[in-house]
Amino acid sequence: MKTERYLRQILFHPIGKEGQRRLAESSAVVVGCGAIGSTTASLLVRSGIGYLRVIDRDVLEESNLQRQELFDEEDLREGLPKALAAEKRLRRINSAIRVEGIAADLNPTNAETLLRDAQVILDGTDNFETRLLLNDYALKTGTPWIYSACLGSQALLMDILPGKTLCLRCLVDSVPLPGSLPTCETAGILAPAAKLIASIQTTEALKILTNHPEALISGLVNIDLWKGSFQKVDTQTAPSPTCPACQKGEYEFLNAKGFSLTTTLCGSNAVQITPGGNAENGAKIDLVALSLRLQSALGVDNISQSPYLLKFRLKGREMVIFPDGRALLFGTQDTSLARTLYSQYVGL
Amino acid sequence: MIYLDNAATSFPKPSEVYGEMDEFFRERAANPGRAGYRLSTEAEKGIEMTRKALAGLFGASEPQRLVFTLNATDAINMAIKGLLNPGDHVITTTLEHNAVTRPLNSLERQGVITVTRVRPSPQGFLDPGDIKRAITHKTRLVALVHASNVLGTVQPIGDVGRLARERDLLFLVDAAQSAGLWPVNVEEQCIDLLAFTGHKSLFGPPGTGGLYVGGRVELRPWREGGTGVDSQNPVQPEDMPFRLEGGTPNFVGLAGLKAGVEFVSRTGTDKIRRHGQALTSQLLHALGDDTRFTLYGPPPEAEVGGGPATSPILSLNIRGMEPQVVGTILDESFGIAVRSGLHCAPGTHKEIGSFPQGTVRISPGFFNTGDDIAQVALALKEIASSTAVSSRQ
Repeated sequence: MKTERYLRQILFHPIGKEGQRRLAESSAVVVGCGAIGSTTASLLVRSGIGYLRVIDRDVLEESNLQRQELFDEEDLREGLPKALAAEKRLRRINSAIRVEGIAADLNPTNAETLLRDAQVILDGTDNFETRLLLNDYALKTGTPWIYSACLGSQALLMDILPGKTLCLRCLVDSVPLPGSLPTCETAGILAPAAKLIASIQTTEALKILTNHPEALISGLVNIDLWKGSFQKVDTQTAPSPTCPACQKGEYEFLNAKGFSLTTTLCGSNAVQITPGGNAENGAKIDLVALSLRLQSALGVDNISQSPYLLKFRLKGREMVIFPDGRALLFGTQDTSLARTLYSQYVGL
Repeated sequence: MIYLDNAATSFPKPSEVYGEMDEFFRERAANPGRAGYRLSTEAEKGIEMTRKALAGLFGASEPQRLVFTLNATDAINMAIKGLLNPGDHVITTTLEHNAVTRPLNSLERQGVITVTRVRPSPQGFLDPGDIKRAITHKTRLVALVHASNVLGTVQPIGDVGRLARERDLLFLVDAAQSAGLWPVNVEEQCIDLLAFTGHKSLFGPPGTGGLYVGGRVELRPWREGGTGVDSQNPVQPEDMPFRLEGGTPNFVGLAGLKAGVEFVSRTGTDKIRRHGQALTSQLLHALGDDTRFTLYGPPPEAEVGGGPATSPILSLNIRGMEPQVVGTILDESFGIAVRSGLHCAPGTHKEIGSFPQGTVRISPGFFNTGDDIAQVALALKEIASSTAVSSRQ
């Protein structure tokens, strides 16, 4: 290990030479390489982690450049998947690190392969469903993971240590009803808020990987950079006794039962997305409210409605949403693109 | 929930099918033909009774020539790949399901065979004269779907069979949609290879089906293995059905299929078919004058042999709406299950002008009622009135 490169970090006492050595032998997986994921990946590679895997299903778009620090205009011209563009950039930042970019949609079929060997999992996702999948995998394998999210100027974070802290499922019963929450695409996102939470996320990962559990933040971090509010919510830190995931071992997202189903349709150039769980409960989306949220992002002329559905045009394609959350995306057979657009504009 | 996707699989099944499978699986499901103990012999007897019941239904005098398969697709692959040799010519139609189309296309692309695809009339009926005209000195096989799974149109298999027999060609019939619904008689209709599935109009469970292999045909087995008999033989035995039935059969499924076939025999294919036809006709009349709908296939008065010439299948579209959207609304807002898309028969959609989006296919079954049809007609009309309008108010 080259100590010169990491000297300032080694001089920071809690890490020291021993921490740096541990770090060089450790591995982490970043799931989702957007605003949070790309900052976290960059910081971890600079810190001298041994191995980093970055998983992302999307291709870079111009609107990503405002906040996703691993990418630039040249990457945009090359049109690479973000995972591969990130891998290239991360290797340029630190060639001594083993970096692997995986362009894939994380789902119950591949999660156990793609997340294997992670000593910590970093949340850079944009949807609750994938977080609940990470949560299941983490609980099943005893892997710590760090929940992080950012919307507008607000950012959230929580360390989840299986067997020690509560898990994400303790806090939420199921995936929020599709279309019920704002997303970055409909409500926007302030880059500094994402970078701030990514910095905290990376710090938490460093504590885990250098064996400093005593320094971990307990509870939920809730920051609003615009309002200038910095809170740590300590209300509940113990697992919920009725949690199906961490108390009963029912991994409904990892075993596919609660996860959405995305299938290419016979005939039309179209993909169907069926969200998991909620339809069985008879829950319905408020299509009028969703339409209003979409209007600011897409323009009112791109949206139409009937009592049975909401339609919107998006990047040359058309998405049709039904009240139970099912959707058809016409104009593609790419199931991961369908999941991306669904989680971006409707919300999973 | 109103289930109107019986052309995909019949649902529900007659209660005796569930009862027979449950009882058989709990009480008698020993491996047939693999040992001499009583349970094993009984299981084997169960399979032979199913074979006999099906041979009876299809007018086959040699039940042992009826072999069990996973489904119709499996049976068709067994027939096509076990029969055709380099240089053979096959006549088929553009109405076929992918179960026939794909194995033939694949052999054609590999340069093994040549294929002529005969087109139907605009209403979806085949002219046997067109098949006759396509015959060459290399023609070995005519492969024809009995009832179209998109239009329900029924082809004159007897006429084509007799024509094939006269010209010494072999005749393969895909009876996936017709077995149990229309009279099929391998001897009278000169059928050399009859492929059928158990889970549609024979009311059996999925994973059951079969291939009748007539006496004029010798198939290369494509699945070789244990038969429970003639085990000292280093290769697959010559005797039917063992020649084509390697491996443990789905005997629990076949017990259910036997109960389904008995239900069909007891009720009568004519009664079952007429019930479905009456429902399709009711729907056709409910929607026929409404210009918002495009209805595919022949008009209700089309007849063959003195009766309606279609199976209980109606394909339609609402003008200006994707069939998948209509199907989802029917399910989501009305609790009605239908199938949208190409139904694995892209050639048919090209013929009727519904390619590539496909159609909404409504296929009533024996357990549907006139009330179900009234509800689907009402729902379709409501959906047709609900064209999406711009959110700009």
